[in-house]
Amino acid sequence: MRAAVAAACTPQRQVLAALALLVLLLVPALRLWLTASMWRHMVLQFPLWMGVGALLTAGLSPAARARVARWNAYGISGLVGAAAVLAVLMVPRVLDLVLVFPAMEAAKCAALLLAGAALRLSWRAAGLVVQGFFLGNVLPMTVVVGQLYVDSPLRLCNAYLLDDQARLGHWLVSVAALLAVGWLAQVAWWMVQRDAVVAPHAAQVPGPE
Amino acid sequence: MLRTALLACLLALTGYASAVWLTHDFQVWTAEGARRLEVAQHPVPLPRVTVEGPGIAAQPLPALLAQGGGVTVVDFVYTRCQTVCLSLGSSFQQMQATLLADLAVGVVPNVRLLSISLDGAYDTPAVLQAHARTLQADPTVWDWVRVPDAAQQQALLQRLGVVVVPDGRGDFEHNAALLVLDDQGRLVRIFDLTEQQLALDYARHIANGGLL
Repeated sequence: MRAAVAAACTPQRQVLAALALLVLLLVPALRLWLTASMWRHMVLQFPLWMGVGALLTAGLSPAARARVARWNAYGISGLVGAAAVLAVLMVPRVLDLVLVFPAMEAAKCAALLLAGAALRLSWRAAGLVVQGFFLGNVLPMTVVVGQLYVDSPLRLCNAYLLDDQARLGHWLVSVAALLAVGWLAQVAWWMVQRDAVVAPHAAQVPGPE
Repeated sequence: MLRTALLACLLALTGYASAVWLTHDFQVWTAEGARRLEVAQHPVPLPRVTVEGPGIAAQPLPALLAQGGGVTVVDFVYTRCQTVCLSLGSSFQQMQATLLADLAVGVVPNVRLLSISLDGAYDTPAVLQAHARTLQADPTVWDWVRVPDAAQQQALLQRLGVVVVPDGRGDFEHNAALLVLDDQGRLVRIFDLTEQQLALDYARHIANGGLL
């Protein structure tokens, strides 16, 4: 099953999918629909742009990957960059600014695209410790911002309504919780598998008698 | 590894610099906060939009503001509003009471109140007059106008940073506030709805020649 999915997702197809998604995101009607609501803006449009970046990395040649990796040991630079992008984009002022200034919107989308690419290029190399550190920073930040949006009696963005803001808050908290649970499940699965591989060997090791 | 450390530091610094720029050195987090800070630092001149209202012939807004030779506290309203505009109305009623009390003891306050409609298509001078009467607005200190031209109204709202969002139930949500404008037709300070005493004191302060 896993092999079949991997075989179907050739680098060429991934780049094509990225380009198709990119064109779709640039369609004015869809852009308006995504940014018309605060929760779609942050919970849908943001990850879609990151997805474009992540898919595009499939088109990198092995030489290019090696060059990137030299500047990205253990995925540290990539994850620091992605965390910085996500932190800055959580400032409520951004959501208002990008609606008014096209240059800000372009900068936001480019930053998200790069963050998505950086995440994919760094994730494997990072290993569990760096991954945990990254998620340990980004997810609590998301929960805090989300809870702030839920609790705030004031509208934090001039362009969006209060109930929309609260809905976004609930979404951010839920997404952060889901990502945390998903990652922990993956870690648990990986450890169980490792133990299953290690344990039979361990049984063969002669005891200390 | 050195290269990675360098790049990571550079990225973190770039993120920090963007955050500093975005939040005016961590003073504001919202667009509304930034707007108020920017107005306080650099007064915003009004566009020459034409306004009219009950007892006010069509004329450019800056000319209307210059007439009194004083300072004007402005709010944006629409008469169909049932929510925040009502509290704006009561803020304005309290300020009006203070100004009228000043007048009664012979002090000319040089401060006027002006309500501008953001629904110029519906709020004709007659509608505004009826609404002003229900709020007991006294035309000696409190005027009502609309911007009859839709494009000009949009230009005015945009210049002053007033964002209007339809709430899907036939009402409009907007970042209601008390805007203090000087006699040269510049927006010099924005106050919260509940800060009417502060707004009025500030308006009186600059009307009496105080520094911005």
